[in-house]
Amino acid sequence: MIDQKMKIDPDRCMKCGFCMSVCPVYDIDHIENHVARGRNVLVRMVRDGELSLEDDYRRCLYSCLLCRRCDAVCPANLSPAEITLGARNEVIEKKGMSWLQNIIYNGILSKRSMVARFVGLAGLIPGLSVKGGRPLRHLADMASFIPGALSLPKLSSRPLRKRVSAVTKPSAGVKEKGEVAVFPGCMYEYFLPDIGEDIIVSLAKAGFSVVLPEGLNCCGLSMHNAGDFKTSSLLASRNIEALASYDHVITGCATCGSALKDYHKWFSEEDPMYGRAVEFSKKVSDFSEFLVKHGFRAEGSSSEPMTVTYHDPCHLRLHQGVYEAPRELLSSIDGVKYVEMENADACCGLGGSFSIAHKEVSQAIQSKKMESIKNSGAQAVVTSCPGCMFYLAHGIRRNRLPVEVMHISRLTRGDNRID
Amino acid sequence: MAITKEVISQLHKILGDKSVLVSKADLTAFSYDATSNWQGMPEIVLFPTDISQISRILALADRNGVPVTARGAGTNLSGGSIPVFGGIVLCTARMNRIIEIDAANFTATVEAGVVLNDFNRELAKQNLFFPPDPQSFLAATIGGCVAENSGGPYGLKYGVFKHYLLGMKAVLASGEIISLGGKTIKNVTGYDLPLLICGSEGTLAVVTQATLKLLPMPEARQTVLAVFNDIITANAAVSRILSKGIRPAKTELIDNWIIRRIEESAPLGLPVEAEAILLFELDGATETVRMETEKVVQMCYDAGAADVRQARDKKEADNFWTARRMGFSAIYGNAPTAMAEDVTVPMDKLPELMERVKRIGEKNDIMIVTMGHAGDGNLHPCILTDKKNPEHYARAQKTAQEIFDAALELNGVISGEHGIGLEKKKYLKKAMSPEAIELLKKIKTVFDPNGILNPGKIWE
Repeated sequence: MIDQKMKIDPDRCMKCGFCMSVCPVYDIDHIENHVARGRNVLVRMVRDGELSLEDDYRRCLYSCLLCRRCDAVCPANLSPAEITLGARNEVIEKKGMSWLQNIIYNGILSKRSMVARFVGLAGLIPGLSVKGGRPLRHLADMASFIPGALSLPKLSSRPLRKRVSAVTKPSAGVKEKGEVAVFPGCMYEYFLPDIGEDIIVSLAKAGFSVVLPEGLNCCGLSMHNAGDFKTSSLLASRNIEALASYDHVITGCATCGSALKDYHKWFSEEDPMYGRAVEFSKKVSDFSEFLVKHGFRAEGSSSEPMTVTYHDPCHLRLHQGVYEAPRELLSSIDGVKYVEMENADACCGLGGSFSIAHKEVSQAIQSKKMESIKNSGAQAVVTSCPGCMFYLAHGIRRNRLPVEVMHISRLTRGDNRID
Repeated sequence: MAITKEVISQLHKILGDKSVLVSKADLTAFSYDATSNWQGMPEIVLFPTDISQISRILALADRNGVPVTARGAGTNLSGGSIPVFGGIVLCTARMNRIIEIDAANFTATVEAGVVLNDFNRELAKQNLFFPPDPQSFLAATIGGCVAENSGGPYGLKYGVFKHYLLGMKAVLASGEIISLGGKTIKNVTGYDLPLLICGSEGTLAVVTQATLKLLPMPEARQTVLAVFNDIITANAAVSRILSKGIRPAKTELIDNWIIRRIEESAPLGLPVEAEAILLFELDGATETVRMETEKVVQMCYDAGAADVRQARDKKEADNFWTARRMGFSAIYGNAPTAMAEDVTVPMDKLPELMERVKRIGEKNDIMIVTMGHAGDGNLHPCILTDKKNPEHYARAQKTAQEIFDAALELNGVISGEHGIGLEKKKYLKKAMSPEAIELLKKIKTVFDPNGILNPGKIWE
């Protein structure tokens, strides 16, 4: 049987090239060490002392979107994404992090809301901010966005916690179905709290008592992806602790969801947290996955029917295997005409800091997505990831498309929206 | 000869900085192909985007005696795209436009970097079909396939790349651009130069564009999987089917070891006890396919099959074929070094070859895993070894040598579809007469007098 150790053994890569057929980065630049096959060779050579941790090696490690398409097709059952993560971790262990990463990661660890406020304040300085902000998946992504772009997302004046009560009761007249905890993540907490609200209201309409727990922190994925396993596992521990008393943890952020569901992989089996992480990951659901499982039907809408299409976030489709649920939800909503776009599960091109470090490739991937959206004829492109939302909106502005970007919860919440 | 700074700076001028790679981490990524035991570092990697750039690069390289190894996706299995003498790797992957699909004339003209699978996806939209199917088709480029004269499971019924090559654009070592052939099925105008370049492994010219013959998409396809308790019976079934005038589009054989590995890594519900599985695809008009399927099923049972299944739907058929494609990967994933051979014998000699391969493995105490294209006599005995273990590796090489000898004795060839490259060049002398090899060398000199194109390949 293929065990975890074999999955990350680069010697087992036979260089068949299947990964080259699915890699969004290779598809654009055709540079071999930007695709799993080439990276596997480099990682092996560094391990064997044939190549040093030179800058170009690091560039190759960070030229990966971590979308995990290669994991899905590898016939040898390797996980090139895990190999890449391991190699990034090794670089950080040996060479340390950048000063900015240190400040921001530590800041988030100790006082996340202050970091958010700082980012928000900085965003008010003319010239430093753009309307709607730049693509961003996490507060932690700031570490690469600040030097790369010097443009910051707009902080909402009232974070989610100030907008909703700690517990939102099930809507009147619906059958009560129990209690769930919502994990809003940095984005819905500080930058897009209206989506956080839509998620909570939708769950309440589905009959759930929705708790916004205290003591949550960043999901840690940005740090984990950067290779800072120390910080990411610390964040994971805190979140597991804060959510210990809930049976269901729901997130409307595909990225956070992929992290929470993967927490058990962030601890070694010897770690005392491992067992708890395994149990924790089992109780995490994506928003659409959860609603479909509990037979949610959205209320009918009185407004004009709207044609929508769905963009699959890599973190939902490939990391969590959730594909049908958002489509089922959308198709079930009266007043929504669902159309499938071509290559709906193609990457949006963001990949967190990737979009800054590899701007041209990232925007070329984005352009392909824009073409699909345009051809679908949809009035709105719906998705489940704040990072994707930002980057789709960025592409739509760049291409001047008459298309709106929205989170799926806006449609499940229905008409009674108070803005 | 090492490439000079002056040449490097001129290459930058021809291409611009974004199409030139020189760092060690970058060069390393173009130092291998899909074989497991060859590596050679280039000194510079270039990504031309049009033919005039290639012309200027080659002229410059030729004047300065710099080796040039053309490369597509580097998924070849012969060592053929490895720059053993350093110099330039000329990667055509960014030249990936489909220039024309001419449905009326059943031809298409494509740039060298078009990926075979992408090409077929585009063709499918117009109900067209391009059969040659090396099992690396997900990533392999048309340019590479032309240079290697690639083929795959469809070989038996539909032939290989050379059977579809009508014309090409290529650049000679001197930098001269040549247009060869045309768009017609029939063309006897002088020597058939496109066919000479096809399969020349990048040693005669750099192919930049190919005009290919297309077929209409078959109306129906049916996959049949037959399970046998021994390999010899499986082969008997194939002979029986072929002798009755049925030409399955594909007739593939996988052995027990591979069946088990596939079931371990990605279970497809294959019977793990079976000694061998034959996988057929029948295609053509719906009614014909239905009738032929019935006959194939019956003839497999008549030959002694333990179980025969028809794929219920496209999804199940895809699963079966994925299993076949994963075969090689399963092998590589389970041994430090795998030597994937591709000896080919006349169809009726296949059972004897397999018998001999088995004995050779046992005699040398070397694990040999077998899969192949049962219908066309092309066998892939894969020798599992570890090149870091000199004693074992030496035995493995001896095993390969004996397999080649066996194939040649049975009137076969040492390579059916992978090519000679580096992997088999020391066996060429056994497979070709000295006069014939001399002729190869003379042809090479006419095309490439200074020997800059992919040096070190095919012959010693």
